[in-house]
Amino acid sequence: MKVKPVLFSITIMLAVFAVATQASAWSLEEAAKPYAGTELEVVFLLRPGYEAAEKMIPEFEKKTGIKINIIKHPYENSLSEQVRDFVANGDLDIALIDLVWIGNFAENEWIVPVDKFTKNPDLADPELDLDDFFPLVLNAFGAWNGVVYGLPFDNYSGLMFYNKCMLKEAGFDRPPETWAELKDVYGPKLTKDGKYAFALQSKRNETQSCDSFARVLWPFGGSFLDQNFKSNLLSDGSQTGLKFRQDLMQYMPPGIVSYDHAETINALAQGDVAIITEWSAFYATLTNPETSKIVDCIEVSAEPKGPAGRKPALGGFSLAVASQADEKEQAAAWLFIQWVTSKANAKTYLELGGVPARQSVYKLPGVAEKYGYVNALVESWQEGVPEFRPRFAEWPQMTEIVQEWGTKIMLKEVTTEQGAKEIGSRVEALLKDAGYYDGKKPLAQ
Amino acid sequence: MIVSNDTIITPGETRPSVHATKGFSSKGYRPLAEVLLLLLIIVFCIFPFYWMVTTSLKTQLEALASPPSWIFEPTFANYIQVLFKDNVGQSLVNSLIVAVCTTALALILGTPAAYALSRFEFRRKKDLWFWFITNRMVSPIVLALPFFLIVRKLGMLDSHIVLILIYLTFNLPIVIWICTDQFRSIPWDLDEAAVLDGAKPFRIFWKICLPLAAPGIAVSAIFSFIFSWNELMYALVLTRKVAKTAPAMAVGFMEGYNLPYGKIMATSTLIVIPVIVFALIASKHLVRGLTMGAVK
Amino acid sequence: MLKIRHPRLTCLAFIGPAVISLLTIGIGPLAFAVYTSLHRYQLTNLRRTPFLGLENYQTVLSDYVFWEAMGRTMKLLIIVLPIQIIIGIGIALLLHKPGMSVLRTLTRLSLVIPMATTYAVVGLLGQVTFNIKYGVVNQLIGFLGFAPVNWIGDPNNAFIAICFWDIWQWTPFCSLVLLAGLTMVPVEVEEAARLETRNWWTVLRYVQFPFLIPGLTAILILRTADTLKLFDMVFTMTRGGPGSATELISLMIQRVGFRGFDQGLASAQAIILLALTIILSQLYIRFFYREV
Repeated sequence: MKVKPVLFSITIMLAVFAVATQASAWSLEEAAKPYAGTELEVVFLLRPGYEAAEKMIPEFEKKTGIKINIIKHPYENSLSEQVRDFVANGDLDIALIDLVWIGNFAENEWIVPVDKFTKNPDLADPELDLDDFFPLVLNAFGAWNGVVYGLPFDNYSGLMFYNKCMLKEAGFDRPPETWAELKDVYGPKLTKDGKYAFALQSKRNETQSCDSFARVLWPFGGSFLDQNFKSNLLSDGSQTGLKFRQDLMQYMPPGIVSYDHAETINALAQGDVAIITEWSAFYATLTNPETSKIVDCIEVSAEPKGPAGRKPALGGFSLAVASQADEKEQAAAWLFIQWVTSKANAKTYLELGGVPARQSVYKLPGVAEKYGYVNALVESWQEGVPEFRPRFAEWPQMTEIVQEWGTKIMLKEVTTEQGAKEIGSRVEALLKDAGYYDGKKPLAQ
Repeated sequence: MIVSNDTIITPGETRPSVHATKGFSSKGYRPLAEVLLLLLIIVFCIFPFYWMVTTSLKTQLEALASPPSWIFEPTFANYIQVLFKDNVGQSLVNSLIVAVCTTALALILGTPAAYALSRFEFRRKKDLWFWFITNRMVSPIVLALPFFLIVRKLGMLDSHIVLILIYLTFNLPIVIWICTDQFRSIPWDLDEAAVLDGAKPFRIFWKICLPLAAPGIAVSAIFSFIFSWNELMYALVLTRKVAKTAPAMAVGFMEGYNLPYGKIMATSTLIVIPVIVFALIASKHLVRGLTMGAVK
Repeated sequence: MLKIRHPRLTCLAFIGPAVISLLTIGIGPLAFAVYTSLHRYQLTNLRRTPFLGLENYQTVLSDYVFWEAMGRTMKLLIIVLPIQIIIGIGIALLLHKPGMSVLRTLTRLSLVIPMATTYAVVGLLGQVTFNIKYGVVNQLIGFLGFAPVNWIGDPNNAFIAICFWDIWQWTPFCSLVLLAGLTMVPVEVEEAARLETRNWWTVLRYVQFPFLIPGLTAILILRTADTLKLFDMVFTMTRGGPGSATELISLMIQRVGFRGFDQGLASAQAIILLALTIILSQLYIRFFYREV
């Protein structure tokens, strides 16, 4: 019979194929065998996402024999610590990269592009699925100039948290849709008897640049730089936004310029302020009866829109392999990074208090219901701006300038125009020095 | 030579207070006003310390009570967490190791130098003395990054020995300053007698002057210890995990995200109690050390 | 007094170790700081470190932010030092009297506590006590009928807050130094003076004051040097804020060097600060401190 030989060959082929795939099935334990005993150093922050990862680490260590040493730092010091370590050829094997540091780290060649590892069949997990990450997020703090360096690990979007009980008392049954509405309608009604409608964290550090300054630029059509990388702060959009913030301050608690995240969250959690726009990670703090008095009244939605649309604050940290690590450490580091941000582990990470950037995990049944911020978060990550803050190597100096004058504007020591001019001239001097204006450097932010 | 009620340099010689000798009529209200003033001073000095300790015994929600509560249920949870989970215990040990070692080193290097400055004659002695003292005036910020880069190159970052050596920049001047003064106040007769007996300089120093200078040496040791324990900037820049000292640890809690007041105050209390105890024990000599013999 | 001239070798043996240690530990880093101050030394861009000559120094000396920070530091000194001295004299006089020795000893002991407290801790304590909502200070002034004050969030009040803590921490020091000075007044002289007049001010001015001068100069020297170095307490309490209201000179240098990563500029600033410190201390020591 003619069919028999064909059937036979097919069966053989299938059998061979089955054996072949069995033999090449990738597993973490197998991949990690050569690196058992390696010790990795990484900087972690004192935030919920990192605590979640810490709880997951023992499992990883058991499976692979790779040890992870965590050095904890407050955010304020983490850049300084890492820069000093990289500059002096230190011990860090994994780099924790804030959205605004990616340009810096990449240009200094302190981090290794991921395709060194994704092309290596021994190390690359077939389930890696880079496309499963929210593109905005992966692009914003995992990639620079089109090259992917890190995988999103600790992810944030700005969200609007509000006290629905306070709103109801003032006669509102929904949160403000637009910034203008927040200021003109909600502001006056909610600011009385020692309570305030809104609080915008504005402390003179990265908080001022990102949470306060940038937040009022983009929704009003403004931006830090124009296409030629000259300052865009004197444009109509930027000025409208900055003036808006000045106006909004009347509905904020006094001394708002010294409010950092802790103070702002506390203001809402203790019932002194009705609405805040803060990072998504704080959902856990606000719904925990040990730290929040308004557990029954807390609600979440996406940030208000401005005339230019909804441009929520974008932030987050990715993990990348540090180039100063030796080959063994680099491989081990990659395995860890891949594992802790993997699709399979996303649900565990979420349950332990982290916020993964995997689209798949939020589509799982029951997740959106259990975690009240998911819908707002997913929505926000569709619409954000990667250049919410420029991410090039000059950002650390640029942010110092923005912080100084941004707070000066809020303290009414200079007008918005004067402040914008000062920032503009200094930033342009900085960028000129760096070679952006005479073609030495590509205009990437 | 200082002779005072507060600092006993030559033991056995105390001064009676002036007022006790002649009739100093105290009107009825005077003592009361004085008592009140003294109590006010005591309260003013101790109150912040008291507040620190009580806050450290509060839970986070309690610490965030507005207005602050004076009566509450104390808990040691902060201390337990801070000592065992957050490695503050380890950092206290680090502080102790560093402070003790650098003090010992400063004494070993400094006392001979102080003796020489007080006894020997040589050129540029004055300039040398000025140079030692000026070292104490230098702000750590000047040297912090250069130290960092050099230490990194030597591969000694995050080690105790690095702090021990670097703290010498301010400990050695303290020891030299105080001890020079102390040695100077020891009469030369003993030296002369020993020289006539044919004793070598080192022997004179070791057997005769050093024991007599014990109070001054003790004072400088105490100061060296206190300043080393309290030092922040170098510890922040040069240590990471292994050798992190307690003050650097305390600052690490100041994450803008979430200010755990209870834990911060617990750490602060743990840091401050050893130095305060030490200082109280040495209180008699404190003034002398701080002015380093400037009060003559 | 037989001044023996010892052989060079002996001198070297005694002083040598100390000198060598300080030289190696102190001079090396200083030389490196000078080196970086003459170049553009940007930690995030170490591939380009062109020689700049004195350009960094020029930038610093013409930078109004630098002078503002210096001005603030000096302003702090000028405000707190007189207060510390005056209150210090008051406390010293109070402690100098006889009687109630238990209470007086207790006071002297409690004066030690502020001086020994770790500076960083003072700052943290400042944050906790001066907090507008959770702070005990606002509660206390509330008892006196005042409205709560925004301490750390208001530029002027934040400055007042750091003045307060500096005074809290160092007035005891002044008082103890001055007390030591008071006890140096010869018994007979003081007795005689008190016989002539009951007025404490007269006694203070004519009899006791000369003996306070050494103590005052010591206070002057040490407090000036320490204020130029002041970092820990302000850093932990306000980080230099709000805005730059409490940014003293050492905080500014730390910001430029460790947050802006411009080590060249920070080194230049630090060296200028060092030069200033040396000049001031040399002036003080040579004028006031007759020694050696």
